[in-house]
Amino acid sequence: MPRSVELEVCELTKRYSQEVSVGPISFEVYEGEFFSLLGPSGCGKTTTLRCIAGFEELSQGSIKLRGERLDRKPPHRRDVGLVFQNYALFPHLTVFDNIAFGLKLRRLAKSEIAERVGRVLQLVDLADMAARFPAQLSGGQQQRVAIARSLVLEPRILMFDEPLSNLDFKLRTQMREDLRNLQRRLGKTSIYVTHDQTEALALSDRIAVLSHGRIEQIGTPSDIYERPATAFVAEFIGSSNMLRARIVEGGDSGMIVVTDAGLRLCCSLPANDEFDASEDVSILLRPERVQVETPRGGTSPGQNRVSARIADVTYLGEDLHLSVDLVSGDRLRASLKNANAARGWAPQQAVEIVIDAADIRLLRR
Amino acid sequence: MEGTGTRPIWTFLIGPYALFLLFLLVVPFANVAVYSFHPYSPTKVFLPELTLDNYTRLFDLYYGRLFVRTLRLGLITTVVCVVLGYPLAYFLARALPRVQALCLFLLIMPLMVSAVIRVFGWIVILGRKGLANQALAALGLEPVRLLYSETAVVIGLVNIFVPFMVLPIMASIERIPPSLEEAAQNLGANWYQMFWRTILPLSLPGLISGCLLVFSLSISAFVTPALMGNARERMVGQQIYDEVLVSFNWPGASSLALTLVLLTVGLMFCALFATRHASRREAAR
Repeated sequence: MPRSVELEVCELTKRYSQEVSVGPISFEVYEGEFFSLLGPSGCGKTTTLRCIAGFEELSQGSIKLRGERLDRKPPHRRDVGLVFQNYALFPHLTVFDNIAFGLKLRRLAKSEIAERVGRVLQLVDLADMAARFPAQLSGGQQQRVAIARSLVLEPRILMFDEPLSNLDFKLRTQMREDLRNLQRRLGKTSIYVTHDQTEALALSDRIAVLSHGRIEQIGTPSDIYERPATAFVAEFIGSSNMLRARIVEGGDSGMIVVTDAGLRLCCSLPANDEFDASEDVSILLRPERVQVETPRGGTSPGQNRVSARIADVTYLGEDLHLSVDLVSGDRLRASLKNANAARGWAPQQAVEIVIDAADIRLLRR
Repeated sequence: MEGTGTRPIWTFLIGPYALFLLFLLVVPFANVAVYSFHPYSPTKVFLPELTLDNYTRLFDLYYGRLFVRTLRLGLITTVVCVVLGYPLAYFLARALPRVQALCLFLLIMPLMVSAVIRVFGWIVILGRKGLANQALAALGLEPVRLLYSETAVVIGLVNIFVPFMVLPIMASIERIPPSLEEAAQNLGANWYQMFWRTILPLSLPGLISGCLLVFSLSISAFVTPALMGNARERMVGQQIYDEVLVSFNWPGASSLALTLVLLTVGLMFCALFATRHASRREAAR
């Protein structure tokens, strides 16, 4: 069943000056979806969010909420909730009054306000904090008040501007899960802006990766990670080995590529990708897909086996990061779980690198 | 570590100015207080016996009017300063740093000119044949009497005291993050609702200190009312001046001065108490 489009951003463009501009950006957010805008700082993700909220005027393009033009309405009439990066709680109001702020503006009856605020306080697990002032709350609690304050108005869309960036690591992980559960439970259409790929991957139904004011790719977390459309996406999401190469042999079942340094690899491609023979490409290989074994020689179908030497081992507790020099002269990074087999690796050791043909991703240059 | 014989560091930090204040403010002020309880003598400054006459005479109609007029002019000046100063303070608090620096310089510049010169400037503008009346004449209107009136005094006082209103309000608005304004709008507040519910209550401390400053400076003003007001409608400051230097009634002047100071301090405490109360009630609402 195709889901209905809740928000439609069409050719959104914002020009600040001759050099600095964002867009054109186009995307759709479906009803009940958790949609993330992911990119480095300055990529235009926050600008996009502020355009939707109405704090920035579009230079060009349109924004539609359920088919209705949104970009001509003043910010206070948009029905789009925004959770600010610094929470923007009113310091002179209690938690209760912060949350009741929007309800009072809508002139609801006192009893209804109390009831709705009470319900949403339960939802974010702050029922006993209603009389506190924001300054008396921890960062995580303030964050939940900010979410509750937007939620209580039951906006069409809930937007988050890097909401977890001011929290420490542990709390961030906790809040990420809480946010995920809350959104799943309420089925609220959400737009989430972040520069943190882990957050985007963990929370989103779909992610739009932005760079320099343009969308590089829109897709599910696994699309974005497994099948990045551009070198930028591949580099930005996770870490990756990128090698320049040329296709030397094409075929239905797979193709042979040779890196600039002379390493010959076979790779199998998803059917919809079409490459010409002898085309220049970049090959992308995720470090965790690089397997490191003791040398035993021989080949197996669908696998590349290459002799190599360990150049460096970085100990990270959970993981080990290895730099390996291949016989061809290429250097690859490998990420291994710190489990039995991996614990013996040391620099200068001769090893064999195993790469599944299906794990190699080709990108046009 | 506190060793014996070493003085805590704060004595060195505030000591010099504390001594300065002690000898040049506290002691003379105590002297004024003492004078005010002695009878006036045309020949000996004051007589040794104690009396409350200097204070009871303040209940005369003349002094009653004097104080009412002074407080009224102070109040009007304060209100005009709020009306003119608050929007300016908001603009400055949200302006680009370069614009803010330039405007602040322009705002403070009148304070760098001596009071007498500034008042003469006003006399040139407001006088019978001044700029204001020439402009009216050019429009074919009757000349009006602006100078030597209460209006002139208020204009003069507002001119000097607007910066004292703007600066504290600006400082308190600057501390309000702009994201709070956006949050209020995002929750459905139009600009006016946003202003009344966030900016105004959060800038209240600045507004209160601005009002207290302007009011207490206005009611103790001397140069401006002396040069721009008329002799029959004076303010307390002029009366004190006359009693000290014209009639040499130092005890009388002292009682006036002490009353003015107590009035100011009392009003300040009331205002501070009221705002504390208000902010607590605001918080509880």
